[in-house]
Amino acid sequence: MKYSWSTILHHKIAASITAICLLLIAGCSKSFLDVAPIGQQTSATFFANAADATAAVTSCYGHLNEWRVAGFAHLAVTSITSDDAEKGSVPGDAGFLNDFDNFTFTATQFEIDDYWTGQYAGVNLCNQCIDNIPNISMDASLQARLIAEAKFIRAYHYFNLVRAFGGVPKVDHVPVTADELNPVRASGADIYALIESDLNAAIAVLPASYPSTEIGRATKGAALGTLAKVKMYEKKWAEALALTDQVVAMPYALMNDYYKMFRVAYENNSESLFETQANTIANDCGTYCQYSEVQWVRPVGWGFNVPTTDLVSAYEPGDLRKAATIIFSGETTQDGDVIPANSPNPRYNKKIYVPSSTPNACGYAYGRDQNRRILRLGEIYLIRAEAANELNDTIKAKASLNMIRNRAGLPSINAVSQANLRTKIWNERHVELAMEEDRFFDLVRQGRAGQVLRAQGKQFVDGKNEVFPIPDRQIVLSGNKLTQNPNY
Amino acid sequence: MKIGKSGSASLNPGVKIARIMKLTIAIASFAALQISAQGSSKEPVALKLTIHNNSNAPDIKVNGKVTNSNGEPVPGVSIHVKGSTAGTTTTNDGVYSLSVPENAVLVFSSIGYETVEIPVNKRSVIDITLQIVARSMEQVVVVGYGTQRKVDVTGSISSIKGAELSKQSSQNAVSSLQGKVAGVQITNNGGPGASPQVRIRGVGSLTATDPLYIVDGTIVSDLSFLNPNDIESVDILKDASSLSIYGVRAANGVILVTTKKGHKGKPQLSYNSYVGAQIVTNRLLMASAIKYAFLINEKLGMPTVPEYPTTDWYKQILRPAAITHNHQLAVTGGTNKLTYNASLGYFNQQGLVDKNDYGKITGRVQADYKVNKDFKIGAQAIYYNYNSTDIPGDIFYQAYVAPPIMAVRKANGHYGDPFDYNVGNFANPQASLDWYNQRSKGNSITASVYGEYKFANYFTFRSNFGTTNGINESRRYVSKDSLTTVQHTSVSSLNRDSSHARKWVWDNTLTYERKIFKHRLKALVGYSSSEDKFTSDGWSVNNVANTGESSLKISNGDPSTVKHSFGGNRATFISYFARLNYAYDDRYLLTATMRRDGSSKFPSDNRFDNFPSLGVGWNITKEKFMEHQKIFDNLKLKASWGKLGNASIPTNISVARVDSGGIYNYVFAGTGGVVWHGANNTVFPPKSLVWEVVKETDLGFEMGLLKNKLFIEADYYDRQTQNGIFSLPILGTVGTSNSSVLGNFATYDNKGFEFSATWRSNIRTLKYNIGVNLSANKNKVVSILGGNVDLYGGGLPVGGYLTTIARVGQPIGSFYGYKVTGVFQTDAQASASAQPNAKAGYFIYKDQNADGVIDSKDKVILGNPNPKITYGFNSGFEFKKFDCQLDIQGVAGNDIYNANKGVRFGNENYTDDFYKNRWHGAGTSNTYPSADLSGANLDPNSWFVEKGGFIRVRNAQVGYTISSHILDRWKIQKLRVYLNAQNPFTYFKYKGFTPEIGGAPMSTGIDLNVYPLSATYNFGVNVIF
Repeated sequence: MKYSWSTILHHKIAASITAICLLLIAGCSKSFLDVAPIGQQTSATFFANAADATAAVTSCYGHLNEWRVAGFAHLAVTSITSDDAEKGSVPGDAGFLNDFDNFTFTATQFEIDDYWTGQYAGVNLCNQCIDNIPNISMDASLQARLIAEAKFIRAYHYFNLVRAFGGVPKVDHVPVTADELNPVRASGADIYALIESDLNAAIAVLPASYPSTEIGRATKGAALGTLAKVKMYEKKWAEALALTDQVVAMPYALMNDYYKMFRVAYENNSESLFETQANTIANDCGTYCQYSEVQWVRPVGWGFNVPTTDLVSAYEPGDLRKAATIIFSGETTQDGDVIPANSPNPRYNKKIYVPSSTPNACGYAYGRDQNRRILRLGEIYLIRAEAANELNDTIKAKASLNMIRNRAGLPSINAVSQANLRTKIWNERHVELAMEEDRFFDLVRQGRAGQVLRAQGKQFVDGKNEVFPIPDRQIVLSGNKLTQNPNY
Repeated sequence: MKIGKSGSASLNPGVKIARIMKLTIAIASFAALQISAQGSSKEPVALKLTIHNNSNAPDIKVNGKVTNSNGEPVPGVSIHVKGSTAGTTTTNDGVYSLSVPENAVLVFSSIGYETVEIPVNKRSVIDITLQIVARSMEQVVVVGYGTQRKVDVTGSISSIKGAELSKQSSQNAVSSLQGKVAGVQITNNGGPGASPQVRIRGVGSLTATDPLYIVDGTIVSDLSFLNPNDIESVDILKDASSLSIYGVRAANGVILVTTKKGHKGKPQLSYNSYVGAQIVTNRLLMASAIKYAFLINEKLGMPTVPEYPTTDWYKQILRPAAITHNHQLAVTGGTNKLTYNASLGYFNQQGLVDKNDYGKITGRVQADYKVNKDFKIGAQAIYYNYNSTDIPGDIFYQAYVAPPIMAVRKANGHYGDPFDYNVGNFANPQASLDWYNQRSKGNSITASVYGEYKFANYFTFRSNFGTTNGINESRRYVSKDSLTTVQHTSVSSLNRDSSHARKWVWDNTLTYERKIFKHRLKALVGYSSSEDKFTSDGWSVNNVANTGESSLKISNGDPSTVKHSFGGNRATFISYFARLNYAYDDRYLLTATMRRDGSSKFPSDNRFDNFPSLGVGWNITKEKFMEHQKIFDNLKLKASWGKLGNASIPTNISVARVDSGGIYNYVFAGTGGVVWHGANNTVFPPKSLVWEVVKETDLGFEMGLLKNKLFIEADYYDRQTQNGIFSLPILGTVGTSNSSVLGNFATYDNKGFEFSATWRSNIRTLKYNIGVNLSANKNKVVSILGGNVDLYGGGLPVGGYLTTIARVGQPIGSFYGYKVTGVFQTDAQASASAQPNAKAGYFIYKDQNADGVIDSKDKVILGNPNPKITYGFNSGFEFKKFDCQLDIQGVAGNDIYNANKGVRFGNENYTDDFYKNRWHGAGTSNTYPSADLSGANLDPNSWFVEKGGFIRVRNAQVGYTISSHILDRWKIQKLRVYLNAQNPFTYFKYKGFTPEIGGAPMSTGIDLNVYPLSATYNFGVNVIF
């Protein structure tokens, strides 16, 4: 049998076409369309083991350094509103922060929205851990501890939210249903109940301390102390007192040197119950926090949130804390840094000062290594003093109060009435915790925010400015399901 | 006999080798002939290679005159011997003369006329009359997986010849399309090497609006790799019946690019070049130093003393003229078996900003080889290489906000520092430019091979494999330096990033084409698979000493500081498709298409969908009753319907992902501690994503009138995007990292009308053509989340204000906010108002619901970012040796949200317009606010919304072709020189830099662009050897 050249060619091509067609049918196998994401893990494979659980809880800590949680929004809401601080920097720079100084903000003020979304982003990270870690097959004690850490951080975020806005949506697990994805506001009491329940769960599990490589994780002491503060806000004095007693009995100790307590070299010191860990690491310049950068004098920082003259005059003569809290332009720090006399502002917050001698791996001398001191033993003594005084145990109250006064180089306070002592304790809180973002919420708690702040010339309106407006953006996105606070 | 094994399946090795040798010899002998052709005498060598075998016949001299049907002489008609490129052109009087073999066939051709072949038959005088071409009959358009006679098309396809595009000296073919095609809106981006944004028939999809680009069957991301001079034609598929053959990738339209193919004949060399200067037009005037001082002090309530000279930061960073030059050399030729086309191009463009340079090299080789009369193979490769010296991405923003009181440099030579002026945190733009040290480069190869085999008389099988493979690399070095109190670092750092994009598509089609009596039938079935893959790698290190380019290596840095990141995405597609074209007597036309697509981008339980379409047409002029009318040369009515999909959505959106690193990392144990890896679920996938589909109906007609001098085409379309997938901001309580989520949010319509008319004729020796095109589009939301709720988007970078809305019955992405009714003239008036904390000089917002409170219930729709009308006017003239061209283009009926006016964190500069019109005391203004542009004044409101219409001279050009006899001694066939001006004039009332905004969907028309508009003036030459 003979084949012509072209016949063979035709046959070959016909065969090839058949082969290709067969290949096509084979080629449409389902697997060709199953494509995994590149360079990004999928949720389906996450929360599979102890390493994932650890990484997820680490993200909750990391978020405490985030801009919305530690930057402008945080300082605007908690500090610039108070009588301790004003906007700072040069006139006109970030002029919108004056709205917080003057209480002229409206519901569209974007820092308020940042504050809201920043806290809820943290809540989501914690909820992911709390929902998913229990399903991982792993070391049971580590599992329980990681969940407890997440609950501690969730309580921190809700404590911020409830103080700033009153009742807020209670998102205590990863939302799934339409109603959960667009939740209504819960009552303030419901939120406080969630905070208490989270902190109690944390207290039951968290260790009192960690190995040196893991310092900075939430401890039992941190949870006890935070719960004491929460109880103080709820005026549950007996419980607050009992909790502070527990903390004081733990191996914490006041730092002798108030100035050093806030320096990078004395991070996580004996007085520290909880602080965020901020660090610029050469191969990971993303782990910094701009908390200090925003506040310290130019050119290192931006010079915002500076102490007021009211704060300057709040200190008694001889109070060692004044020079450790406020630095005046033209002065030189203990660590040898000069604040130029021609700086734009007369005063700066010294508590967030990072000496220029601090190693600076990422090159930007912005003080990004400053840990945010969130809770320390000094405040625990003052909570204890206040709780004891409210329970009429003035002796115990004075003992705690005087520990703080004596460290500051001030004489002890002797016999005074309960009401008188209450004022003394409040004043002591003012100066002891000055520029530590506690003052505005403290004044509201004490019921005298309007009185104190209006005396400073602020347009604080009673029955309105005790809480911030629910961000207009959130109300709009909720289709008006979120309700606005009174008078906004 | 074992036929199965030996007979049909394989040839013996000897035959195989013999065949390969045959092919090799064929190629080698071709090459040898080409070489000998170059070495031999002036005799027209190519004639030796032609199949007509003319070389043995004696030459005779032929002359004559070419006229048109009106008896007028036709100049510039190209006359050549069939099978050769040897020839001449007619003079202005239409006469010609040349020597040819006495049995040659002469080919007469001229644009706008039918090509005529006349055998010489030993005649010495040949006068002929050329007929104006019946374009609508002869024109062929490229459709998906094939071509079609324009007359048979039932959909809406616009075709542009490459020659028309290359008349504009543009580095990107897409930008040359601007204003030329009805229904196609093109928004140019001013940066060097940038690709313009294209929208076909309005906002198709909200997730991605870029059309699909296909170059000779290969899917590519854009056309920046392609030299416009290499383009033979561009065909734009606009309606669903033409598009549905591309199924899930077609929702935003398809741009089919056909590159130039080789032509039989001796090698023909051509050279195209231009040199141009780009100059800023329509500069936006910023406030001077003293005006700035007035404004800032007014805001702060302080007196102003004129203290500082003005720094014009735009002038400081811009070049007076940015030079562009472009060169391209191309060669084409071939034999009966093998044709080829190759080109090499070099393009260099200076950016408008000092120090910004972009250069690219493009190379292309293409060849088709006919193995035998039934079997054809071909291959093409396009190489692209670019090199760029970059500038900071925010340099224009820096120039826009930088205080004019700040000096470029101080008296001591140091950079001007904002610290010295007490104005806050500003970068010195000149310091930024000088400090910035980034270079990027990249290359890509786009290649395709095909084989086409005809068998059993009516069948053609074609297999085409196309791939594009590209690498982009950039390196950025930050030196240890202290330039100002804002710009400084004590540690040097080096970043090296690279990305790798790879796409391939394999198409296999089988076509059956047959004409039986009056039935013309063409059927196509096909299968296609493709993959898009992208990966990126980033490395960074600190402490690298810069001792030259070669020292900038990651390995030269401190090893303890090395950081690596990796990412990417990948998507796959499988498609089956079929199409039937049927015509009865060329009168009744039918096109039916079906495509079934599957994509990895969708959830595995909802991965495939079907995309059908149907088109019908009626060529009325073919009817008996039209036989005797003289008005219409061609009249066709057409109607079509089809369904399309959109896969231009992010990959893996249906898969929940984990975010890690960055802010999620944490260092325990404070200073001296180590980084702990942080990761968590932060992206919520849409729970049940369904396919976004487009359903479109198109009704239209085409007509040729007055001997086809006038050609009119019009279409009405109704295009509905159902279950449109896009991203929207979501509630903060959900806690996602990006505050937004994708979903099938809305169904919306684009209804519109497209019209184009071309008049092509001549007045004696003046040939001219005039074209107009107009398209009107109306976008309307039909439903949201299956119902009638409002959705918000368009978040601004300052404050995150939501500026747009999707609301049923309104255009999608409409601007939304307060209506400004005036400005408070006194504090008393302000405090008596419903606006909390308002002051004199603040906007008065309209209380729309009259409830005495100004809140979000008083927000209304303020404008529409989508143009209602886009239009173009194109014209060309040829007179003797001169040719000229004028193109005008514009849009009307759109609004722009001038968000730049609200970029105010602190003491940013203002525009001069703001200074002149601001409120600064009772009675000074009732439209502009005071310099204290903060608080409620920044809430989205009607002051930010401005009219966006513009009209532009897109291209104006004059060319001159130098007479051939002058050129003979340099062996140049044709030499044309031209002057060209692009965008020399743009007229608009908008108060920003340019009214051409574009932008991501739901953020369309939000202007945060601070890149000034520019005009380009070019001088160019076209040479054919």
